[in-house]
Amino acid sequence: MDLYLGLKVLWWLLLGVLLLGLAVMVGMDMGVGALLRIIGKTDLERRSMLNAIGPHWDGNQVWFILGGGAIFAAFPLIYATAFSGLYVVMLLLLWSMIMRPLAFEYRSKIPTEGWRNIADWVFLISGALPMIIYGAAMGNMLQGVPFHFDWDLRSYYTGSFISLFNPFAILAGLLSLALAMYMGATMMVIKTEGVLAERARAAGSFAILVAIVLFAIGGVWISMMPGFVLTHSVDPALAQTPLTQTVELVKGGLLANYKAMPILWVIPVIGFAGMIIGGLLLRAHRPAIAWWFGVLAWVGVLGATAISLFPFLMPSSTNPSQSLTIWNSISSETTLLWMTGFSAVFVPLILWYTSWAFYVMRGKVDAGKIEKDPHAY
Amino acid sequence: MKTIGYFLLFFVLAMIVIFLVIVMGEAAPWYFAWIIGTGLLILTSAAAGFLFDTQEEKSKGTPQ
Amino acid sequence: MINDTVVELSRWQFAATALYHFLFVPLTLGLTVFLAALETVYVVTGKPIYKEMTQFWAKLLLINFALGVATGLTMEFEFGTNWSFYSGFVGDIFGAPLAVEGLMAFFMESTMIGLMIFGWDRLSRGQHLIVTYLVALGSNLSALWILVANGFMQDPQGAVFNPVTMRMELESFTALIFSHDAQAKFVHTSIAGYVTAAIFVAGVSAFYLLRKRHMELAKRSFRMATIFGVLSTIGVITLGDALGFVGAHAQPAKIAAMEAMWKTEEAPAPFNLMAWPNQEKQENSWAIQIPYLLTPLLTHTMDTKIPGIAEIEASNALRIKSGIQAVEALKILSSNPSDAAAMAQFKAHEQDLGYGFLVKRYAPEQDVSKATDADIALAAKDTIPDVFAIYWTFRIMVGFAFLMLAFFIFGVIYSLRNDVENHPLFLRFSLWLIPVPFLACEMGWLTAELGRQPWTVYNLLPTWMSASSHSVSYMVFSLIGFVSLYSIFIIIEMYLMVRAIKQGPDDHHAVQKQDKNTSSGGSVLGGNYAPVHAKTLVNEQSKEV
Repeated sequence: MDLYLGLKVLWWLLLGVLLLGLAVMVGMDMGVGALLRIIGKTDLERRSMLNAIGPHWDGNQVWFILGGGAIFAAFPLIYATAFSGLYVVMLLLLWSMIMRPLAFEYRSKIPTEGWRNIADWVFLISGALPMIIYGAAMGNMLQGVPFHFDWDLRSYYTGSFISLFNPFAILAGLLSLALAMYMGATMMVIKTEGVLAERARAAGSFAILVAIVLFAIGGVWISMMPGFVLTHSVDPALAQTPLTQTVELVKGGLLANYKAMPILWVIPVIGFAGMIIGGLLLRAHRPAIAWWFGVLAWVGVLGATAISLFPFLMPSSTNPSQSLTIWNSISSETTLLWMTGFSAVFVPLILWYTSWAFYVMRGKVDAGKIEKDPHAY
Repeated sequence: MKTIGYFLLFFVLAMIVIFLVIVMGEAAPWYFAWIIGTGLLILTSAAAGFLFDTQEEKSKGTPQ
Repeated sequence: MINDTVVELSRWQFAATALYHFLFVPLTLGLTVFLAALETVYVVTGKPIYKEMTQFWAKLLLINFALGVATGLTMEFEFGTNWSFYSGFVGDIFGAPLAVEGLMAFFMESTMIGLMIFGWDRLSRGQHLIVTYLVALGSNLSALWILVANGFMQDPQGAVFNPVTMRMELESFTALIFSHDAQAKFVHTSIAGYVTAAIFVAGVSAFYLLRKRHMELAKRSFRMATIFGVLSTIGVITLGDALGFVGAHAQPAKIAAMEAMWKTEEAPAPFNLMAWPNQEKQENSWAIQIPYLLTPLLTHTMDTKIPGIAEIEASNALRIKSGIQAVEALKILSSNPSDAAAMAQFKAHEQDLGYGFLVKRYAPEQDVSKATDADIALAAKDTIPDVFAIYWTFRIMVGFAFLMLAFFIFGVIYSLRNDVENHPLFLRFSLWLIPVPFLACEMGWLTAELGRQPWTVYNLLPTWMSASSHSVSYMVFSLIGFVSLYSIFIIIEMYLMVRAIKQGPDDHHAVQKQDKNTSSGGSVLGGNYAPVHAKTLVNEQSKEV
């Protein structure tokens, strides 16, 4: 296979891994944030929840930063078009992501009820909103986004802010929130004890039930939506711009890849299996394995989305022929090669020291310790 | 007055160091210089800490 | 069509958010390294006072770190949200260092800082020391990659324009990271962070020495900070000169503006110690000059010619004419990449492509092929950045650097004599000096980035073309959002920082009291806590202070 084409496919897969890492690790913390007010009734319970993810949230959040950086480096045109097109949404996402570290660091530093109440609301918003936006963005990609290019590849977004929150996008957003809450709740069952863990178990079971229903509705919906098909294009192995192809909208096109390769149905099935088995394991008091089945659920959901879109990443609803695909939005061969080298060295390293950090901080959160430790969240 | 004298001495010394480094370091391998320099900086300030403790112990040892 | 107001608002937004972010970065860069030095003493001597010092300064670091991380997110987003043409045009090169920053540095820094704070009881002394060193290394490696990216904007190395994909593409990664501008700028910025941390630590220690509180901690911190600071300040001045030397070759217009040099003077040129630049008349209203000094200062020779602003402007007008040819050819290539004639024309004028883009702003209907000579003259005038602002931000930065050098020398003298606590005036001065390094860093940023104008990527891509095509209302929305959020943040941050400083290192019992108070409500997790009203506790603390 041609090296450049191989790199393109590799980075498409790596983009998937990054979005997965983001969904799993950041999503889990977000889920905890969203559940903070719901399952944490007293201040100490809430602090227990925060300290359970306390030593790791900062590292987890880097998935988000890394995701942004990697999209910038590997898919510059996607980064440019999506971030500027979805301007208001991106800013809301950003602002809620900014408020979260501050709520973490500053919440326990001021001992008044009012202050901590404000911080808890910040956790709720900055937990729920980003996950809804994460899902809604995926939902919009499936439907196509209203943008087009000039001759010099200057992009113009012609839709409104509200149109990004259409019914399908909201469905996708709620699905991602439900999965995040499930992951957060599962982590709380692992990390805390007593009533708090019981409430977390109940919340996680409910969240995964919601996710199963939403994922099923989404699947049926997708089968009825029009999808994008490349009718004329430059060889995928060559460097190209989105100005030299033609694309058509075809009914049921989002399932075209599944029809062409029925084995791909395995992916959404994995998603369902992960959710169902994970939910059952959580009820059966096996939260650690349940967490890993949650990861599998994310694999299924993100994988199913990616297969529906392939080879598109960000189709244009107003000028389909200028849709962004893997082939025309990706970086040059040299950049991809260097990035591959860096990832090959540093991703294993990151996984190694992240698991070491989790190992060092293993065990249940000690409520007594939180009281004494001036650094505790 | 003595302090001012010391100050002038040190200031001139600093200027000489800056001048020498500038002369030596046109388009120098700065990354390398940074690694070495930061290491030395950490050690020097750590040494300043040791020196302080030594001074403290000495002044405690000899009552005024 | 590109809207002038949107570009202007995008610039303001980026400048404001970047300057704000840069309030927190230098302290993190320096304080992490300073913590490494402190903990080294602790591990070697085993004296508990140094552990207490490490933990105390780490507490202040963390308050600062949180906002640094949070506002850093904004920066990563803004290239895409507000500078989308820029991102598409140079993302192939510019994105890579940002991604590597995440992979190599930020991940390590963030994971390790969690262990550094929470891992005291769970790690051995040696392990914890390594973790602290990794935090310091991680934060400075972050700065390295960001400044490699910035170095590309200042002096684009290792990249080439690809007419097939209509963007700049990476040619040599090593040329990109070892560019002289990136090297000198990284070291300059990193060490500026050390200076900032040294002033901060010295200032806070001076506060305790004045109040006669935590003397053991304060005297030791003051000693280490002044030594740390005096060496760093020498380094920062040296690297500042190196950066000027690099800039003299890569960015002549910036250097001319920094020195307010309107006309090319015969070498060795005089140095404008003080001047009042007037951009309209292209002259200095008044100037105090030192003859012969500028040439050796900038070029390290006596006879190298330094071009003045008038000369730079004239030669740029020629490049704009050539660049128009390149843009016209590119437009043909965009719809038909195999047009041989257009490709030949493009290749002939490729090196002036950016200058062709420059005239777009002034051309009728923003079409460069319709540009008149008057438009070209306007665009050529545009290649000169704001001389007054650059001249003075640069002067203030340098002035502050020498002020801090003098301060540190006095600090070292007093501290070595071990009688700094007997100089209340000097201590008060140390306290007042705390804002100075922060201001100096901001001035340095302004000099570097205002001096880069009118380009986002020097000689390649004008700022005016780089912005996203938003509506004005979008920009107003985001500006209002940023201003209000960031104002709230700084108030909270300053409050917490001042509070933590006033509380000092011996706050273990105070914190315990607070927690008992807030855990009222009968938890299943712990024993019984006597509820205390929150307000009374806060009052107690403020009395303590």
